[in-house]
Amino acid sequence: MVLYDDSATLAGSCSGSSSSFSSKPPPMQQQQDIDDLLAGAGYKVRSSELRKVAHRLERLETAMVNSPADFSQLASDTIHYNPSDLASWVDSLLSEFAEPPTCPSEFIMDPVTNQTVANDVWTTTNPNMPQVHHNISYEQQSLNNQLTVVTAMEEDSGIRLVHMLMTCAECVQRGDFSLATSFLKDMQGLLTRVNTVCGIGKVAGHFIDALSRRIFQGIGGGSINGGSAFENEILYHHFYEACPYLKFAHFTANQAILEAFDGHDCVHVVDFNLMHGLQWPALIQALALRPGGPPLLRLTGIGPPSPDGRDSLREIGLRLAELARSVNVRFAFRGVAASRLEDVKPWMLQVNPKESVAVNSIMQLHRLLGSDSNLNSPIETVLSWIRSLNPKIMTVVEQEANHNQPGFLDRFTEALHYYSTMFDSLEACTVEPDKTLAEIYIQREITNVVSCEGSARVERHEPLGKWRTRLSGAGFRPSHLGSNAYKQASMLLTLFSAEGYSVEENEGCLTLGWHSRPLIAASAWQAVSHAPAALDTHRPVVSGACDRNFSSTHPPTALASLLFLKRNDEEEICFESGEKGTPGLDWPYPNKEREMGKNAASQHVHVSISPHLSTPLALPYNIFIRDGHFILT
Amino acid sequence: MARSNEVNLNECKMVVPLNTWVLISNFKLAYNLLRRPDGTFNRHLAEFLDRKVPANATPVDGVFSFDVLIDRGTSLLTRIYRPVTAEEPLPDVAELEKPVTAEVVPVIIFFHGGSFAHSSANSAIYDTLCRRLVGLCKAVVVSVNYRRAPENRYPCAYDDGWTALKWVNSRPWLQSRKDSKVHIYLAGDSSGGNIVHHVALRAIESGIDVLGNILLNPMFGGEERTESEHNLDGKYFVTLRDRDWYWRAYLPEGEDRDHHACNPFGPNGRSVEGIKFPKSLVVVAGLDLIQDWQLAYVEGLKKAGQEVKLLYMEQATIGFYLLPNNNHFHAVMDEISRFVGSDC
Repeated sequence: MVLYDDSATLAGSCSGSSSSFSSKPPPMQQQQDIDDLLAGAGYKVRSSELRKVAHRLERLETAMVNSPADFSQLASDTIHYNPSDLASWVDSLLSEFAEPPTCPSEFIMDPVTNQTVANDVWTTTNPNMPQVHHNISYEQQSLNNQLTVVTAMEEDSGIRLVHMLMTCAECVQRGDFSLATSFLKDMQGLLTRVNTVCGIGKVAGHFIDALSRRIFQGIGGGSINGGSAFENEILYHHFYEACPYLKFAHFTANQAILEAFDGHDCVHVVDFNLMHGLQWPALIQALALRPGGPPLLRLTGIGPPSPDGRDSLREIGLRLAELARSVNVRFAFRGVAASRLEDVKPWMLQVNPKESVAVNSIMQLHRLLGSDSNLNSPIETVLSWIRSLNPKIMTVVEQEANHNQPGFLDRFTEALHYYSTMFDSLEACTVEPDKTLAEIYIQREITNVVSCEGSARVERHEPLGKWRTRLSGAGFRPSHLGSNAYKQASMLLTLFSAEGYSVEENEGCLTLGWHSRPLIAASAWQAVSHAPAALDTHRPVVSGACDRNFSSTHPPTALASLLFLKRNDEEEICFESGEKGTPGLDWPYPNKEREMGKNAASQHVHVSISPHLSTPLALPYNIFIRDGHFILT
Repeated sequence: MARSNEVNLNECKMVVPLNTWVLISNFKLAYNLLRRPDGTFNRHLAEFLDRKVPANATPVDGVFSFDVLIDRGTSLLTRIYRPVTAEEPLPDVAELEKPVTAEVVPVIIFFHGGSFAHSSANSAIYDTLCRRLVGLCKAVVVSVNYRRAPENRYPCAYDDGWTALKWVNSRPWLQSRKDSKVHIYLAGDSSGGNIVHHVALRAIESGIDVLGNILLNPMFGGEERTESEHNLDGKYFVTLRDRDWYWRAYLPEGEDRDHHACNPFGPNGRSVEGIKFPKSLVVVAGLDLIQDWQLAYVEGLKKAGQEVKLLYMEQATIGFYLLPNNNHFHAVMDEISRFVGSDC
């Protein structure tokens, strides 16, 4: 039995399967006169525009009949966006037809398929992908044979297990812990009669554990995600290898970033969770290959501080810098160590107003949500400063699930469906230790969703519909991912993953799922522009003067691992990191010289605080001198 | 042939409501982009453009749905639609496959259309249609996500239909209380209608009882060019060229349109005389260019002594049953409900 439940998407999605939707209209349908019947078919067209759309369709048909060759060109070369918006789709086709066919976009395929090769450059364990695929199809066969031997009794036990899990969860919600405990015992017993190697037995085991934790250790108890940052990174890496969800996230985001950076020479990517920087080799390579040459690429990677004094962020940065150097991309890296995303302040990112910024969040935004929409939740603060950076694009990838509902039973049920599906998809992976470690990675998520509350519960996944509402409300508008991103994603899936994964287009966003259930959603956004800030003047924001030279001898701090500060004779105050002779770290902004390699004490370095940053905050920064460091606050 | 290139747009705008015209013209346009002259199909773009909806275990208008993988080897998915009962307005999510409780519950196995190449069980238009059928017939509907052409030619679609039939027939939870058997109907539109006929044939050969066949604008054809094909070519959204393309994509390479899959009562057809073929309800749209073949199918059944009811909707075009904004729609839905209800 397969459990698929999409009650969650009802709340947020507007692809209504019935034209007679109950009570509340779907959140996206703000215009009142959308044609109901077409909406039921998945198309949003205003009744008032029907005639116009019909007319345009006619023109396209005539064109099609008159010049079929050009029309077939439309099919192969055009990138289509958001088919639900029929009016725009038809218009875009018409405009393609009117103009002479333009050159197809270039920098698409190769860099992305090279991704696995790029990984080889600087990670050690990485089986050759195509070979893995071959093994998978063979293994999948024997696995299929195994799976078909599931007995009727097992199927029955599986169903009973699920039923018991739900009942136990319901007891927990009610507070009846003694009854819940007896259910737990029964379930442990049932587990022995069910195949726990795969299928429902395996995922049920994890949920039983999570429920036990909740009952016996209490919510938020202990070190649930007790693993160190180092452990988490390892697990994440294996999850990356075992199934395509993260790969999909990365290349979809990279494609959007690449397109957004088109024509810009100075670009800055802010990665909300660097991990091993798995996403970036492909982007670096893609930028290297773009016509007109690569831009100057700055990457700011955010990640947790390393406990043992190592600067793991910097190590990743160095490897990326090496790669960039090998493909002749001017590259600079900055690490920002922070245990929580909400501790990051925009000034730490040192965004230069002249550069184009991309903000990249892979499964990070949900951690900022609180369980109730209280005032000044971290998400609002963070979204607001992201907006103030005026990014060219913000790529957001999130789990497509509703795991942030207030009611425990609802959450539990949703999680049971979601993770069963995800585990089911993992069955297709046969490479060890990737598979086992990926399962542990997922298990930690399950544990957090089920057994934690309050600030300990960070896995607060929300579905695409809710993110759309939230991001639109925070001043962002969607930047639709197009058909060629979809195509690449589909093709890569066919090449590198088992059958059963499916990419879907959802009103400008792409989702990846297992069979018909989307599990992860990727979207791209742009800030709705304000009145432009005065870009030409850099306000000096430092109060207090200092005329001494300092160099940093301290190991990285949690705030900014790369901070030392000098004031020079100009009015701008600057940051730079930079130990002597370290290539790739924090090259100065263009137009300024870098005097690297000399005695650190005599370096003059520059930074300017972006007016975008200072404007909303409207506070002068203060400098404190502490232990030989300047700290700017 | 100059005539087939004339696009007589004004005529077809007169016979359908504006939103229907927009919907079907949009499909026509999109499908033109997807069919390549060399016989290949732009599957990625097709999937990108197709509007899909997820299953929903929360009842909407008294119907809930869930997806079941019935054959891992071929990734054969089905979407099952069930009505909520008075006793259980909110189905227990862990018990989606709870046994049906009524004395007689029709189970309609539905095959979506798309000329064997387009659409899926989770396409929005078919999700909507299946939901309607649940309410209309107080039935459980099992919509089959069969493999499509040109990647999967004959007989894949029929094989998948057959797999689904066997699966449905063997579900204890779908058995009607009255006789502990599953009361099966086969239904489909366009290529789905074609699949209905061929799956019914297999059912008879294997002794599975099918209580009725419902064919909505079923897709049939043949080598000969008929009068309706001449007269209606290109006039109401469909051209002969595209029909030919789809047959070439579905039929085995080298076969022509008199292959029995395309032309079941043609020169290579299989007679259904003397066998226990299910009663059939065949709906033919008067403005469908392949109606001559559909009418020939009905005649073929009659000549073989089989029970068949023809619903000829004179001013209907293809796809009239997708939106409930015309009289043909309501007339046909009423007939279907009578057809399925009559076996109690």
